[in-house]
Amino acid sequence: MYCFLRLSVLLVGLIVSAGSYAVNAVQPLTTADDLGPKVEQPIEFPHDRHAGDAAKGGMQINCMYCHTYARRSIVAGIPPLQKCIGCHQSIESVRETPRIKKLFEYWEAKKAVPWKKVHDLPDFVRFNHERHIQRFVFAQNKPVQEACGYCHGDVKTMTVARRQKPLSMGWCVSCHQKDHPVDATSTKTTHGPNDCWQCHK
Amino acid sequence: MIENSFNRRGFLKVLGWGGATVALSGCGNTSVEDGKEFVTSYVQTADYIIPSIGTYFNSTCAQCNAGCGIMGRVREGRVLKLEGNPKSPINNGKMCGLGQAGVQAHYNPDRIREPLLRTGDKGEAITWEKALALINEKVGGVKAENVAFLTGGVSGHVKALLKNYLDALGSGHHYVYEAVAPSIMRAANKKAYGVEMPRLHLDKAKVIVSFGADFLGAWISPVHFSQQYARFRKADKGERGVLVQVESKMTLTGANADRWLAIRPGTEGILALGLINALAAAGVSVPGDVVGAVKEYTVDRVSKDTGVSAEHIGKLAALLKERSPSLIIAGSAVEGYAHGSQNATAIALLNQVLGNVGKTVEAPSSVPFPQMAPTAGNRFALQALNDNMAQDKVKVLFSYGANPVFTAPASMKLKENLKKVPFKVVFAHYMDETAVEADLVLPLNSALEDWATAMPEYIAEGAQLSIQQPLMEKLYPGTLGMGDILLALLKQRRPEEYKGYEDFYSYLRSAMVSIKGALGGANEDDDTFWDTALSRGVVKLVGAPVNISSNASAKGLVVPAPFVEDSAYPLHLIPAVSASMRDGRNANEPWLQESPDPLTTIVWDSWVEMHPKTAAKLGIVEGDIVEVASRSGAIKAQVYVFTGIHPDVISMPLGYGHEAMGRYAKGVGVNAFKILDPIFDKETGELAMHETRVKVSKAGQRVVIVKDEGPAGGNQMGRKIAVRMSSSKVNLSEEV
Repeated sequence: MYCFLRLSVLLVGLIVSAGSYAVNAVQPLTTADDLGPKVEQPIEFPHDRHAGDAAKGGMQINCMYCHTYARRSIVAGIPPLQKCIGCHQSIESVRETPRIKKLFEYWEAKKAVPWKKVHDLPDFVRFNHERHIQRFVFAQNKPVQEACGYCHGDVKTMTVARRQKPLSMGWCVSCHQKDHPVDATSTKTTHGPNDCWQCHK
Repeated sequence: MIENSFNRRGFLKVLGWGGATVALSGCGNTSVEDGKEFVTSYVQTADYIIPSIGTYFNSTCAQCNAGCGIMGRVREGRVLKLEGNPKSPINNGKMCGLGQAGVQAHYNPDRIREPLLRTGDKGEAITWEKALALINEKVGGVKAENVAFLTGGVSGHVKALLKNYLDALGSGHHYVYEAVAPSIMRAANKKAYGVEMPRLHLDKAKVIVSFGADFLGAWISPVHFSQQYARFRKADKGERGVLVQVESKMTLTGANADRWLAIRPGTEGILALGLINALAAAGVSVPGDVVGAVKEYTVDRVSKDTGVSAEHIGKLAALLKERSPSLIIAGSAVEGYAHGSQNATAIALLNQVLGNVGKTVEAPSSVPFPQMAPTAGNRFALQALNDNMAQDKVKVLFSYGANPVFTAPASMKLKENLKKVPFKVVFAHYMDETAVEADLVLPLNSALEDWATAMPEYIAEGAQLSIQQPLMEKLYPGTLGMGDILLALLKQRRPEEYKGYEDFYSYLRSAMVSIKGALGGANEDDDTFWDTALSRGVVKLVGAPVNISSNASAKGLVVPAPFVEDSAYPLHLIPAVSASMRDGRNANEPWLQESPDPLTTIVWDSWVEMHPKTAAKLGIVEGDIVEVASRSGAIKAQVYVFTGIHPDVISMPLGYGHEAMGRYAKGVGVNAFKILDPIFDKETGELAMHETRVKVSKAGQRVVIVKDEGPAGGNQMGRKIAVRMSSSKVNLSEEV
């Protein structure tokens, strides 16, 4: 009994020391994949067409052009319909396509599009978009699509967005335990907060 | 003390396993719910609207008549929380608990959602077109003098529209009724000072003697007075003010006083005259006629009549002589008697003798637009309406902002008389006691989704128009604002005059813009003026100062001798106006039921406050259910034994005991309005609220009172944490 206890203490010590050695080296923010279910949306919004690479026929629009609240609020929000219309009222070439016709039907009825949530965390989890965008995009100068992609995956290749990452607590923590530079120029590193109350308020 | 085999440890074990089971089933990736909930966006929105971040819009509180400015935190199109508007000089950004509960009036599940027409015992939902056409038909079918409009206190543009509608009908029968308004004090003030509601400057006074005015709790404008009180207590320069509260039942203000003096009910006027006599004897210059009139009020006699010891009277007189200016306030405890007017006049005279008029009792300013000036309610209006209904003079009755079936004493037989009115229209938020009796119930917007303007009766300085604007979209499409209804009714009568206004909003906007010069917007274009007014929530008016006079005289002032004992009904009933419940109009807001009464800490029920001596004499302990019987009826409630009350008095809170209204109000407590005796103030004809004599008998049951303080009551569990001292041991004269 006693020797088992000693063995387990030893093992724990080994794992901890190996872990702390591993943490000391700056690593890329790896993200495991875990594809979520397909979500039916009222309009099949083509993310690839809006945000995708020019070589693949995309418009390379910055994520934050539409999801403008992400950097200012804890929720990214869905852009108001007027934002869609603002551009599409002057894009004659696609005006008569089924999706755009449907979009204008909502606009003329002054009705909001009933989008379904794709990334829906449980109510006891508080995830703050603003903190992450401010850290990665504005402090570290990461490309926007990379920063958003840590959690949302490669949305620019999708039509309707689909969850790619597990969004579980262990998965969040796996990233929060890793060191990353404080800002774009600094050699000082830090890691995300691991206090329970940061997310469970 | 759990003594069976299932002890505390066993309980914790089960709790632990239960918790673990919940945790196992509840956690894991499955709780990330993709594609189940909607994330509905705006169609169009302003740049400053950001999801999850609150935006504040200013409006005006409608929970009581004080008219505090509020700002509502609005997030994702829903109002979440109310705060005080710092730009409102009434409350300067502060707010009370009653106001906070305004969101519960708005989101209340018992709100009426569509117009209801009586068919037999049931209400049948009808359209607004049909409802308004029906009113037009009924009003057109009777003589104008048979139409009566009963309202609570009204002001602003709704009042102006209401007057226009009554003018259009050719009827002047507008009854303005408030169940607990200080209407006798207003009349006495009018006589003594020439104004009904002078401005009181608590902060300028060095001593305040309040005769039962609960200005920190429920009296006139408590949030405003609380701030003045804070400055009075901690003056920028100089000394801390001394508050002496004289009353028969301790109020929140009494609990804050330096000295609380229990007085025999109804003898407040005698004490005031006794103080004048003592002041004259101490060398304060008092007019000769007054000296003559009060010379019989010797300290010994006053002490005998009022129950206040001669020592305290002497100290009080010395305090008032030493410190000037002072302020004497006549509260609801003064005016609740058949000689309420005399009591209030005696107190006005004391203020005048002390030279407070013009110093701490100041003139209000006039209101530049009298058609919008507040019409203060009183109890006499309901008696007049009741008499007319009894004589079949009322054929069509409108009721708005009042619940007379609940607040009228049973002796008025109001419910029976109401049945004589062939067509009763009630504008209501809930199916309250009056709405249940109606033939047509019209559902109103909540105060947080309606347009209105208000002019509070009590403003610290100047005059102002407070704007009430919707903080969110209507919850139910079937409700309408009072302004919108009145406008629709006016369009029936004067279509030419009102057809240009699509709704009350367009009327209000054009009415405000047309007088923008007087509202401080002479140099602004219409849109700028209107947007500024809405964003501030308050518009200052320039009113001319009104002269205040010192007319109080001893001539004809007779304060009757104290009550003679009534052996059949030995106790006096004081119906208490609590800060949360008031007259019961907000009883269906559960926060108010849940917030403990400040003195007794009782929640969710009525109670009978009783002095320990009285309780011992009757063999009653806390929690005994007693029957409180007056000549006009009897009710049963639990007893709370409390030292802050005169032994000759019992007190019950008003506002409880609804028979309708909603799930949180119905059946909670008993209605103390019902057993009030029909005794009236001799000068004004107002119902004397404190005149009712009662007898108390045990009803047999005993309950555990639900309250916040511990089971041992107010004695701090016997631990003597704070030292208690009887008030006679406190040497207040050290303050002088």
